[in-house]
Amino acid sequence: MNARETAWRVFATELNSTTLEIKATEEKQPSYIVTPLGAKINRVLIAGVMTEKENIGSEEEPMWKARIQDVSGSFYVNVGRFQPEASAAIADIEIPSFVAAVGRVRTYTTDDQRVFVSVRPEHIVPIDESVRNEWILETAKSTWKRLKDTKKVLGMGDATEQDLIKAGMSPTEAFGITYALDNYGQMPDSTLYLKTIQAALRMLLPDRNVDLGFPEDYSDEPDEIEIPENGEGSGNNAAQLEDMILRLLEELDTDGKGAPREELERRAEAEGISSIELEEVSNTLMDKGLVYEPNLRYLKRI
Amino acid sequence: MEMEELTPHIQELQRVLGDKIDEEQLKTELNKYLNEYHVNIDAAKRGIIRKYGGTDTATFVTGNSLVKKVSELTGSEQNVDITAKVVFVDNKEITVKGLPKQIISGILADETGSVSFTVWEPGALVLAKGSVYHFRNCYCRTWNDRVQVNLGNRGRVEPADGVKIELPERQITASPTEIKIGKIKEGMGSVTVTGKVISVETREITAKGEQKTVYSGIIADDTGKIQFSAWSDFGLKEGESLCIQNAYIRSWKGIPQLNLGDRCEVSRVDEVTDVVDTSANVKTVDEITRIGGGLDITLEGLVVDVRQGSGIIRRCPQCNRSMLNGACTTHGIVEGVMDLRLKVVIDDGTGAIGAVINKNDTEKLTGVTMQAARGLAAVKGEAVVGREITSKILMKRVKVTGNVMSDDYGPSMIVKSASLEKIDLEGEANKLLDEVEAAI
Repeated sequence: MNARETAWRVFATELNSTTLEIKATEEKQPSYIVTPLGAKINRVLIAGVMTEKENIGSEEEPMWKARIQDVSGSFYVNVGRFQPEASAAIADIEIPSFVAAVGRVRTYTTDDQRVFVSVRPEHIVPIDESVRNEWILETAKSTWKRLKDTKKVLGMGDATEQDLIKAGMSPTEAFGITYALDNYGQMPDSTLYLKTIQAALRMLLPDRNVDLGFPEDYSDEPDEIEIPENGEGSGNNAAQLEDMILRLLEELDTDGKGAPREELERRAEAEGISSIELEEVSNTLMDKGLVYEPNLRYLKRI
Repeated sequence: MEMEELTPHIQELQRVLGDKIDEEQLKTELNKYLNEYHVNIDAAKRGIIRKYGGTDTATFVTGNSLVKKVSELTGSEQNVDITAKVVFVDNKEITVKGLPKQIISGILADETGSVSFTVWEPGALVLAKGSVYHFRNCYCRTWNDRVQVNLGNRGRVEPADGVKIELPERQITASPTEIKIGKIKEGMGSVTVTGKVISVETREITAKGEQKTVYSGIIADDTGKIQFSAWSDFGLKEGESLCIQNAYIRSWKGIPQLNLGDRCEVSRVDEVTDVVDTSANVKTVDEITRIGGGLDITLEGLVVDVRQGSGIIRRCPQCNRSMLNGACTTHGIVEGVMDLRLKVVIDDGTGAIGAVINKNDTEKLTGVTMQAARGLAAVKGEAVVGREITSKILMKRVKVTGNVMSDDYGPSMIVKSASLEKIDLEGEANKLLDEVEAAI
């Protein structure tokens, strides 16, 4: 089945504490991240206040970087030229304002192996506060469900996916939770998520003195995801990146078949070029007719 | 591929092509197909034979023509031989591109299972039910996850004299599962349901040249509705509550349907008072995906995408289907009738479902009337109408009711009624707070 991927409702705290990724191994197969609470995510639906936006591309080829804040954290949002609709929309959105966005998640790993998750919206639209609050409610409910499910699974001992499906979970949920518990190597930080739910309920019920017993400190998220940039000025930078990639392509093309993608990605990463950037630059180079793909796993300079 | 591996294929091609091509040329050709263009060996051989005019394709058997048992068929076979007994056969006339065409279809079986088959070029072929044949050079396809065996130009059927195939007794399910209508899904065997007849009508159909009356309609219980077809007269009346035993499920495009066949028993029961109120019968997309489809299903979610073909469209005046670039796929270039519709993706956090929304509901949800859309289109073009209604509906919470079916791209709904939804934020938030407080 090629069914469309579900747009998961997750808070920034859960998304940003995600470090697990299931990379696609076959063509057309989507990649996923798996959150500590077992949400197996390809696409998310997020909402909140857009607190900043910046065009780090050029006038002609915008590349927007933005932050959307929910109840206790921020989503990092990137919009490039492969999201034309979102790109056009974000240009017109005022800062700050309420927005909702739906898009795919991407990960980015720093040199010291820290993982950052960003969202590439297909759509980003201005909303009003009530729609934002509905999102908070929905997301709080689904976060709570994942917390409960995780707790239940922890109490079941060595439950298999099949056991969980029998216990009423959907196959996706069962897989996600098992995978998260097996691979994170530690229990999820339930305090973090309960604190987030507390913040959500405080936002929704200002008149009820919501106190689940957690202090209101904010998570220790970074101020900024710095995607490394080489040199100043975007135009320059893009040209430099292109040159570097072209050089790498030549170097890695040992047998005339082109440069193997994996190798290229490794080398590019060593040079401080993220896989996201690599993809963009190689697409630009293909558009310019400087490189082509002899087949999917290779890239070759013309 | 190395040259020695190619030798059998080259020899085979030489047999077919004779002196139409010399060996060197053949090697060069094959090498080009395989190593320059990376096509697979079967396609390469087919291509070469076509190119050099192999006339004798009927006897052409590729190196890897397989012999398989029915249960081994995967549906992707290009060339397979099967020896099996014909357990059902029907000579049919179908219409292909407006011309009548004779085909033979039926079911063949061996010890391992049964599969439906179609002979597309039967000529003078006559198949007898109960006889065993060699079905040669068949190709397989899957439809609805079931394998189908096809015999095309290259296919041959030969009587398998002396071959005996003992078929296992067909297992008759001893006790059909008693089930709620809302839980019925594709691929279930016999079922027993209790429900109320919502509607019933009779239709005259012609099956195998015989006039037959079918009684069809809708039956419902407190969990859902389902379409039924009764193949004999059970005296069904609207409003009656029935217990239907031993009915079987067949699906059409993922929508399960209840069939009352020969083995079915119908009895009158005390009134089923709770008949599903579809507006209250809200299902999640995950639940719908697992069932596959159904009638009058309601769901709630956010519109997360608006697809191509939303806005002003034109429909063929003859068949009412939407047209593409001024032409109807069946009736060619016609003067289309303007219509307004939305094709959206609705996501409720458990899954995503496609939904097609008609003019009235599109007007209701977006506030853009047909008249306004026409006006806007006249001034700014029809593309602007699409963008306008997209901006009005994206990220809106909607509640939709309609019939759901499924295909490879997941479930989709033809929406019968739609409305914008609001959540009782405070009530729901309080409920969640109480639950969380009680649990920690």
